[in-house]
Amino acid sequence: MTEPTEKSGYTWINPLASWGTATGNPAAPSVPVPDIREDWDRVTGYKVPTYLVGRLKHYVIWSNHGDRLWNRTRWWPTRRNLLHVTGIYNRKTAIAEKKILDRRPIYWLICMVLLALAPLVFPASMQNTLLTAGTIFGIFAAINVCWTLIIGTASIFSLASYAVVGTAAFLTSWLSITYGVPWYVLPLIGSAIGLVFGLAIALPALRLDGFYYALLTLGLNELCRVFFTTSKEFGSASGGLYGADSFIRESWDPMVQSYVGYYAAFALLLGSLSLFRLINGKRLGRVLRMAPEKREAFAAACGVDYKRARIVIFIVTSVALGFIGGFYAAQYRGVAFSIFSFDTVLLGLAMLAIGGIGKAEGAVLGTLVVVFLDKVLLEWGPIRHFLVGALMLAAVLFLNNGYFGIKKQFNAWRDKKRGEWRSTRTEKGGEALPEEATETNDKDQLYFRRFDKIQRDYLKKLITPEIIEEHRRQPLGQHSEALERVLLYFRRAKLEDKYALHRAGPHGPYKIIAFSGSRGVSPRIVDDREFATVDEGYHGVFMRRVHDLMES
Amino acid sequence: MAQQKIFGYANRISVKQGEEIKFYVNCDGAQEAKAQLVRLIHGDAHEAGPGFQEEEIAHPANGMWKVKKQFTQLGSFLKVEDRANRLAVDGAFTMFCHIWPTMPKKGERQTIMGRWDTKNNMGYGLGINPEGHLEFWVGDGKEVDYVTAELPLVAKMWYFVGISYDPASGQATLYQEGVLTRYNSLLGKVVPHDYASHVRQAFRFRPKNDPKVPFLIAGSWDFHLLRGNFVNDLFAGKIDRPAICDSLLTRAELDQCRTGQRPKATAILAYWDTTAGYSDRGIGQSVQDVGPHGLHAEGFNHPVRAMTGFNWNGRDDCFRLSPEQYGGIEFHPDAVTDCRWDETAQIHIQDDLPSGIYAMRLRIGPGTGITEEYIVFVVRPKKPSAKLCYLVPTASYLAYANESLSFDAHIIQPMTGQPPVVTELDIETYEHREYGLSTYDHFEDGAGVCFSSYLRPIINMRPKYRMSSMNITWQFPADLSISAWIRHQGYDCDFITDEDLDREGLDAIKPYNCVITGTHPEYVSERMLDAQEDFVAGGGRLIYMGGNGYYWVVGFSRDNPACMEVRKLDSGMRAWAAKPGEHYLQTTGEKSGLWRNRGRAPQKLTGVGFIGEGFETASPYRKMPDAWHRTVSWITEGVEGEIIGDQGLAYGAAGGIELDRYDLSLGTPPHTKIIAATGGHSDNYVLVTEELLYAYAGLVGSLDYRIRGDMTYFTAPNNGAVFCTGSIGYGQALPANGFNNSAAKVLANVVEAFIKDGPLPGSNWTLEEKQWR
Repeated sequence: MTEPTEKSGYTWINPLASWGTATGNPAAPSVPVPDIREDWDRVTGYKVPTYLVGRLKHYVIWSNHGDRLWNRTRWWPTRRNLLHVTGIYNRKTAIAEKKILDRRPIYWLICMVLLALAPLVFPASMQNTLLTAGTIFGIFAAINVCWTLIIGTASIFSLASYAVVGTAAFLTSWLSITYGVPWYVLPLIGSAIGLVFGLAIALPALRLDGFYYALLTLGLNELCRVFFTTSKEFGSASGGLYGADSFIRESWDPMVQSYVGYYAAFALLLGSLSLFRLINGKRLGRVLRMAPEKREAFAAACGVDYKRARIVIFIVTSVALGFIGGFYAAQYRGVAFSIFSFDTVLLGLAMLAIGGIGKAEGAVLGTLVVVFLDKVLLEWGPIRHFLVGALMLAAVLFLNNGYFGIKKQFNAWRDKKRGEWRSTRTEKGGEALPEEATETNDKDQLYFRRFDKIQRDYLKKLITPEIIEEHRRQPLGQHSEALERVLLYFRRAKLEDKYALHRAGPHGPYKIIAFSGSRGVSPRIVDDREFATVDEGYHGVFMRRVHDLMES
Repeated sequence: MAQQKIFGYANRISVKQGEEIKFYVNCDGAQEAKAQLVRLIHGDAHEAGPGFQEEEIAHPANGMWKVKKQFTQLGSFLKVEDRANRLAVDGAFTMFCHIWPTMPKKGERQTIMGRWDTKNNMGYGLGINPEGHLEFWVGDGKEVDYVTAELPLVAKMWYFVGISYDPASGQATLYQEGVLTRYNSLLGKVVPHDYASHVRQAFRFRPKNDPKVPFLIAGSWDFHLLRGNFVNDLFAGKIDRPAICDSLLTRAELDQCRTGQRPKATAILAYWDTTAGYSDRGIGQSVQDVGPHGLHAEGFNHPVRAMTGFNWNGRDDCFRLSPEQYGGIEFHPDAVTDCRWDETAQIHIQDDLPSGIYAMRLRIGPGTGITEEYIVFVVRPKKPSAKLCYLVPTASYLAYANESLSFDAHIIQPMTGQPPVVTELDIETYEHREYGLSTYDHFEDGAGVCFSSYLRPIINMRPKYRMSSMNITWQFPADLSISAWIRHQGYDCDFITDEDLDREGLDAIKPYNCVITGTHPEYVSERMLDAQEDFVAGGGRLIYMGGNGYYWVVGFSRDNPACMEVRKLDSGMRAWAAKPGEHYLQTTGEKSGLWRNRGRAPQKLTGVGFIGEGFETASPYRKMPDAWHRTVSWITEGVEGEIIGDQGLAYGAAGGIELDRYDLSLGTPPHTKIIAATGGHSDNYVLVTEELLYAYAGLVGSLDYRIRGDMTYFTAPNNGAVFCTGSIGYGQALPANGFNNSAAKVLANVVEAFIKDGPLPGSNWTLEEKQWR
């Protein structure tokens, strides 16, 4: 509301009064109408510096196929195309161009090719170290990809993944040593062990969740460690169980052995990534993305059987982990107790946290970083572990979802900064800034904002006790110029949030409502105040509109 | 308990004594409704009038009716009659058509054509995906495979689209090319858009065809547990000449089809020639298949025809000149012209039920607001017996049926000069949108609504209803003020409707001495206008009780007389404007728009025509000098002073809302006298646009002398005569002060003179005056 101004002493005479028959106030105290040009001059200028906007085209954008036939290829046997490409019309030029909606397959391909070719470019001095580290990376990355399926996709906070791998590795090693089971059977036996193990620890997941389940699985891990380290059959004396059959022949040149180990682990990683893709990208993954932690009830209400999906993923992944255990035994001819140690679990968790939980690329990158620190930069000594801790801490402290959450986090941060920056520069409802104009497709709206701002600034000067009283006395009909201008502005407003009255019975009472402005969406009740007569209601609407105008 | 509500409609709007009428009711929250036949006396609860009045009529059908929830199929589409399932193609096929999509980026799937079962993922379909790209898809009952165009479709542009699919190789090749000309599309060729897209994808499986699924154009088959089968994923926009061939057409062959050529006859399975069947009397709802099997398609909810096709040259502006350029059929997902509900009851109208306006009143629960429904109909006499005939303007009721201007038109508040006053009933129907739109509304895609029918509940064709944007009664409930006055006066009166006049012409009103209209008979067909003109010329007397009458050219559907068509164009106070080239009625072949623009300004029949409108105040009439002439002085006899109509239910006086003016230049008969005229209208009263050549400042009530309502009178051959009130508000003024007021007095003078046989009063005072003073 404006401050009550001095009485203007101006009286408006209704030109229709001479007819003697017309409705309306015959005369009303009003205010003279000021010169709008002042507002025009004042409003149509920026009070803040303006900058050039625009983004340089700095990379190649492919044009669309146009007349040419676009023969699309798919990932057999799915219906997914090689790349998710679509055509768009450039908003600046109206020219059709191609846009790759998801570039991740390209990045994956490049990374996998690099991993495949990496051994060829390893420096000779470090070759052995790097191949060994690469092998470990492959196996751990495979384990972590499975683990991220459990923690990320299935939202089951299990710390028993290494326990599954270890148990499978120990049992298969033992079988191989004791019964001479050949290497190629070990992963399969491992899978069976994984299945049994998976079934056993899946059941508590139905009742326990979060922290308690993590504790349970950690306890299980510890139980396995204690069981295997104290059992003579599993080599309690020698720190591990070795002597299983392997696909790496001891007769081979050590370098060949390293190469075979590296590529076998690489193949294992590819297999594990395929499993991830198969689960996460298909129905199961989609179902579970609807039911993230703490929103299960909503998903269940939508008809999503998230419990079943979680258990299925858990069991399938446990089978895979068992397979990896068997593979591990076949690769290293056995296994050490360190697989169960608490620091292995923690190191694994660090890998996931650094890369970002729930994403295959996160699991792979996290593993790469940690394995590189742990196994390659050996000469750095214990500080490596400190670095791993620091990286993990930094990831947890500063990043929302690991390294692969950085882009999203950065965009959100930029949006926030943009909002802050703009709020210091724009006037609410005022002239659009050049940078805001880039976001408006209908340029007419830019002029509307200018015009509307001028109108509002001008009309605010007309809101006086005189015209409010004039309206109260006669809401409908001919009014003084000042009131008429204000009313014409109010009536012309867009439908969104435009006020009207709701009538409960044939003669009232009336309540103020506001239209939605979107088709088929009913109006909302603005407040509970009831008006006995329609004229009081009209005046109530007028006062609301005055209030909104003065607030704007 | 579910929210209780009840809505219904009847199969007829006008019934003769002794005939049958059927009712269709949809009810939520109750199994039974209390039915009562009522005669409607007065419809407006306004304090200044007699209030709402009805009279319960004894009838065997009164009592509890079994009612149920009924569903409405929204959206217009074509269903192909294919009993032999020839379109359940198992081998290779090609489908194509021209399209002009209006909402490609709607965010929902739209089906252009196909035999697609949404519920079971079976069959094949060509359509637009939610992202706005052309897509062809097939389903085997489990999975769906698809091929998508590279570029999104641009709204309101003509495209030629097609698919050739070979199940043997699995290859599906999508064809999309822009076919814009200088005239046919929204954008011209200066826009650097490339519209072409040709994509090939190898499908992993063959589609399966369920024999029960129909081939649909502009929709696909769906199922709901309560509702059963219905049509979903409806298309918004135009489709021109769709076809399906049972072989693979090459790119070159499709290039030829793009220009409008038909493919080789041996390949055609069905070719729906949307340009076939036009006559100079319009076209119906079936679309002919000119292929070998005659698989004709039937339109549901009136897909709009007589629309420009992809090849419209911008020169021929009517389908009668060049039907081959008018192959566009326009589809709207929110159109409804027939609810097609199950019948609830059928009743017999007694032979002795007096002619009048009746309703079947249905109540559930509390029986107010949305738990009460009045299904209105007019009872005509078997044989005309009265001298007076009330012509109930049902065509105009249809035009305004279920209007939602308050909710959707941001211009309504500047027009009416007040905030709307809405009720529960308005909100209910606005939210649910099942009962269709009026010719004052737009479809969701922005096109104006040109069809309106009474085979759906019409919430504003009820007693008690007030038009929310103006907070007064409008059309039907306002017209009850006239019938209430006729009853109060005790005149013997027969009631007939616009529909009867359109069907029977002059014969329907010939037996009467005097015909009295409703407050706002704005929509008239040629037969209705001819009949009234012939009636007056043949000695009949017409009382035109309103304003803005005899305005729009309308046509009634041949295949469904309950449905009326209008196209709004060129000039006139209009809610929308028909697109270039689409100005002719599909139902009759006539040019629509204003009668004035077809050489039949309302002045020629009545003496007055539309001049201005305003909606927040009204003024009384003041006698004009001619009122004292003895040829007409009997009209104002008994009125004290010069003021007429200073009371009323619509803004407190008889002169207001929409006003008509005497204008010799538009054909007002030269001997017409202005008895009285309103004046002093506020600036909310604005000049009508058809008067406007150049717009200039000051075309408003307080500044333009033309903005007024003229009460006129002239005599016609054979003792005929026409009396006009020149204002919509006049009818609502009649019940004021217990029907005892100056407006009612004037009208009584006229009616009593008009129903008498023989010469009219004052008819001898016709010699040239020799004045002494």
